[in-house]
Amino acid sequence: MSIVTKALKYICVGIFLLWILVPVAWMVCLAFKSYPEWRVAYFFPKDPTLSNFIILFEPKRIIGMMGATAIVDPVTLPLINSLIVVGISTVIAVFIGFFTAYGASRYNSPGPFSLFFTLLTRMLPPATFVTPIMVYYSNLKLLDTHLGLILLYAAVTVTYGIWILKGFIDNIPREWEEAALLEGATHSQVIFRVTLPLIKSGLVVSGLFIFLLNWAELLFALVLTNVNAVTLPVHISKYVGAVGQLYGPQAALGIISSLVPLIVGYMIQKHLVTAFTFGMVR
Amino acid sequence: MSTRPPKSVSLLANLPINILLYVTLIVPFILMIYLAFLAWNPAGGYEWWQAPIAGLNNFIRAFSDARFIAALGRTVLFTMAVVGVEFLLGLVLAYLLLGEFRGKRAALSVIIYPLMLPWVVVALIFYLFFQDYGPVNNLFLKGIIGEAATNIHWFLSPTTAFITLLIADIWQWTPFMFLILYSGLSAVSKRLIEAAQVLGASNRTIFWRIQLPLIRPLILVALVLRALEAFKVFDIAYVMTGGGPGTSTETLSLYIYRVAIEYHDISYAAALSLIILIILVAVIRVFIWYSFERR
Repeated sequence: MSIVTKALKYICVGIFLLWILVPVAWMVCLAFKSYPEWRVAYFFPKDPTLSNFIILFEPKRIIGMMGATAIVDPVTLPLINSLIVVGISTVIAVFIGFFTAYGASRYNSPGPFSLFFTLLTRMLPPATFVTPIMVYYSNLKLLDTHLGLILLYAAVTVTYGIWILKGFIDNIPREWEEAALLEGATHSQVIFRVTLPLIKSGLVVSGLFIFLLNWAELLFALVLTNVNAVTLPVHISKYVGAVGQLYGPQAALGIISSLVPLIVGYMIQKHLVTAFTFGMVR
Repeated sequence: MSTRPPKSVSLLANLPINILLYVTLIVPFILMIYLAFLAWNPAGGYEWWQAPIAGLNNFIRAFSDARFIAALGRTVLFTMAVVGVEFLLGLVLAYLLLGEFRGKRAALSVIIYPLMLPWVVVALIFYLFFQDYGPVNNLFLKGIIGEAATNIHWFLSPTTAFITLLIADIWQWTPFMFLILYSGLSAVSKRLIEAAQVLGASNRTIFWRIQLPLIRPLILVALVLRALEAFKVFDIAYVMTGGGPGTSTETLSLYIYRVAIEYHDISYAAALSLIILIILVAVIRVFIWYSFERR
């Protein structure tokens, strides 16, 4: 390869990396700037401060800063809610996904309807089925509860559990399970003692991926929660709407809510393609 | 192993998934079909089972609803624009990163991080980015057009507001296209390419005649999955522009959300949802048949 094409290649990749990095770099720098620096034309804060982060955790109060006033809730409750709802729904989705995937991999067991339906719920816009769920939940008194969100999140992401884990289970030789059966183990013992331990890494990958998706989910939470079960994305959307000009704390909020997904995401970096494509691409 | 599952296995494989699906999704789906044929507004003070039947009125109304048609058209336009740009950018990038070079691993892990960020955070990032005194106006454009740059109000004009949405989506999802195409291109056998080189094929011929045709099935998967995902667009529109100015950046999801939540017109929202669902289910069914069941 000639030097010119090589240089051109580096320049193209470099430009792309800048395009990926700059918007986030701006947010990160903004989060550490104090009020007078929010509208300045340079990246790095002259006088870095943590006050933007501290403001987010202070009890409910009216923030008034140079023309922008708003009643702001602390981020603590949404943060805890997100951890509870997303954590529990992920565990449910992974285990139900595992059992279903086992049946699908070994026996073609849950009929094509269930499998098609789970794929469908993931591919359809959430806005097209959130309306009846809201009516249904309000009749069942599940609105604004953790339980309601947990069940829904588990149901719409279980499909990733099924398809990712099916790939892992397909790779385990059937002979190993048959050997355990010959030794006198029951079928359920085979599932829990042989197959489950063998696909530990699959459980972790699908779990972390489902965690990532549910952590980011906005629309369901926006419609189905109000005060008690508000999650982090809903809190962000309210924060931007209510306090349009508080750039510093908004940026800090962005950082707080992307730390967990970034850690989780890099843990499953190698499996992202497989996960995003329901195992169609490896 | 027998092909008929033993009782314990079939119980484990069928019961939990079906309970979960029926309790949280299938019952509401059936409810939606019923709601779509009612004239029910919760503000009227009665429950949905007491509401009068409206027949096909909601559907007839949908087809003459200019705002609905506009939102549908806008969402289709958005989907085609972002999928097209993301595909081209992703393909170029995947091709550039194909060979070995210094710093490749670092470049790869930088490129994919937008995928991991919650959509709301991406919306927030670009909301801050396109403020009047944000870096786009204050840093980049100021260098080109001078002081007038801070007078550009990105979110106040329909066209520029729509462009900010496109940019936010392209920023976040180009890495998705890149990842799929890159994993496809790097799986193309090196021997095949070497053989072509020996026969005197140029890099361009190799790309168009060997690499691209070999990853064609992958390209289809990437395009369809991305298009379905882009069609859902809600978060960035809700957070960045709120559908504004006016209703000029209102996407389909945002419109249905507003009809249901802000105007309380539940049965109309259900009818709109049903129309979109029927179209999409047909598309998805064909796609699933093509990619899972054909062989």
